[in-house]
Amino acid sequence: MAKLELAEETKAGVEEIKEADLLIAVAAPVEAEKLRTAATRAILGLGESSVGALRTVVAFPGVSGTEPVAKVEMDLDEAQTHDRLHFLPYAMPAGSPAKIPWLPTASIYQALFAMARDMGVSACAVIAPDLAALDSNFLAPMIAPVLEQRFELAMPLYALGKFDGLLNSSILAPLARSLYGRRVRFPLAPDFCFSGKMIPDMEVALQRTIAQGQSTFWPATEAAIRERGICEVHVDTHHAPAEGVDLSTVLSETVGSLFAEMTVNAPLWQRVRGSQAAITVGTPVPPTADGAGADTTPMVETFQLGFRNLQEVWSLVLPPVTLLELKRLARPSTERFHLPDELWVRIVYDFALAYRLRTLSRSHLLGALTPLYLGWVASYALEVGNASATEAEQRLEKLARAYEEGKPYLLSRWRWPDRFNP
Amino acid sequence: MWTQVSQSLHESMARVISRIATLLPGILAFILAVLFFAAIAWALAWLVRSFLNGIRIDERLARGTNAIAEWSPTYTPTTLITRVVFWCVVLIGFLVGLEAFGASSDNVLSARLLGYIPNVVGAVVLLILGNVIARFLSRSVLISAVNMNLHYARLLSLGVKWLVLVLTAAMVLDHLSIGAAIVDLAFGILFGGIVLALALAVGLGSRDLVSRSLEREAARPGAEAVAEEQFRHF
Repeated sequence: MAKLELAEETKAGVEEIKEADLLIAVAAPVEAEKLRTAATRAILGLGESSVGALRTVVAFPGVSGTEPVAKVEMDLDEAQTHDRLHFLPYAMPAGSPAKIPWLPTASIYQALFAMARDMGVSACAVIAPDLAALDSNFLAPMIAPVLEQRFELAMPLYALGKFDGLLNSSILAPLARSLYGRRVRFPLAPDFCFSGKMIPDMEVALQRTIAQGQSTFWPATEAAIRERGICEVHVDTHHAPAEGVDLSTVLSETVGSLFAEMTVNAPLWQRVRGSQAAITVGTPVPPTADGAGADTTPMVETFQLGFRNLQEVWSLVLPPVTLLELKRLARPSTERFHLPDELWVRIVYDFALAYRLRTLSRSHLLGALTPLYLGWVASYALEVGNASATEAEQRLEKLARAYEEGKPYLLSRWRWPDRFNP
Repeated sequence: MWTQVSQSLHESMARVISRIATLLPGILAFILAVLFFAAIAWALAWLVRSFLNGIRIDERLARGTNAIAEWSPTYTPTTLITRVVFWCVVLIGFLVGLEAFGASSDNVLSARLLGYIPNVVGAVVLLILGNVIARFLSRSVLISAVNMNLHYARLLSLGVKWLVLVLTAAMVLDHLSIGAAIVDLAFGILFGGIVLALALAVGLGSRDLVSRSLEREAARPGAEAVAEEQFRHF
């Protein structure tokens, strides 16, 4: 496949810099002045350490395809605040805007990785959707394992509260772990770091992703498929809460993308059994404190409403025994509401299969998953309401193991979808 | 007298048999035309399928959420296109057969029937499209309404479904030229009546009730909104 050619302005900037050791790729629009301050502080903060001594380029979306973006006007001469630090504006690729604002699209990654390739960097740190990574102790711990310990991909281990990142904890992370056999807690993290050796593989994977019409890129999945060294790094980075996108859209985009990857990579993940833990680097950061309990009534009500109204849709996807268990669950008693892990895992696997078989329209399929997901959230919240963050993490580990134990069910359904399944 | 009756019966029998005999070539021509065109349709469908598979149209159209897959999820674009080609050729064969039948029988009825066939085909296409659209829209409304935690989700979905179906039925009948004026009138009265009834209900009769209901609905946050406050999903 042909490699991506950068836009003229970006290309000129890259040629001016010629080569660098480290690329800090900012994958979302940011304010230039804040970026300059944060990046300079972050790089100077590294001191004369091995990372601090690197020739570093900070690439940020500074020019659009047609005209300069006003808010990120930056005098490049002024920006050379450090002799080893350069700022390079790049043109955001034209195309459909991301449906999830905090997740960069594959075409943005493609432009960034092309810059990294042209500059011949040893490591590239991707930062999105804000500058939280530069404002926190992120760069040194993430880049060091890649440069010094020869890991090819470093994924962050965010310190989240027990009610944070639930879509990731309930579907994305455990499903990706069960499929590809690598335990990565945040497989779709917006911030990550990879070595220069990974760039060709990443570019090939991105070309395939874009050719399939997908906009979400899964770096950890690609590294796992290619059996590259992955490590997880404890970071103290806290992104601002996402706003303006409803849950159904996020669920459709992320879970739909993971299901699409499943379909493409079916010959690979069908051979994988169990999972390997990724090496963890750094000191664990205490998670953010959550309230003791949470009001789960609206979510249980949505689940019950879904059961009353969406049976026609669910019956196309789920086998009768699952529907029977959901019927028991939908009884009007919110206190004893409990969705067993095995049942939830089977539901996710059945939805993945229906996505592949196109049993019904994919937008309908993923929309019909939302009430079930809220049911899982309610069940989880009731279970860990008074538990600590560590206990909640153990509970999520149990769920991830249930995904692995349920994989034979997925394999059987995937290979013989027409087989009798009561 | 019995001789006359017998003769009359024999004559009528002979007339019927000769009429059937005159129709037989037409029927045979009809069957042959349909079979011949079915064979052509099969061959053409095979060619089209091979060509589409060759250019990997399913793979190309599968990029992103393509419209065909969304509206007709169980069929691939290749299957849909080959089926359309097959049935179009069979339909042409059917028309050729009818023409041959009409030419051999020189019947006024068959001539009228031939002229009416395009209307029937159009009506069938409308009916199929109307059903697909009704099913898709009703499901979309149902799922969105449930995710918005609307308790009358089923009612909304049924409303949309029947609205599209009634509209389709009116269009089909209009296309078949069956009770054209009555259908138009009935449809206009029905829709006008529904809109007027709703306007009266909101504006006069149930103003307080509706406003209270709307206020209650607006004040009650959706499940997702409540969930978002306490939980961060991503």
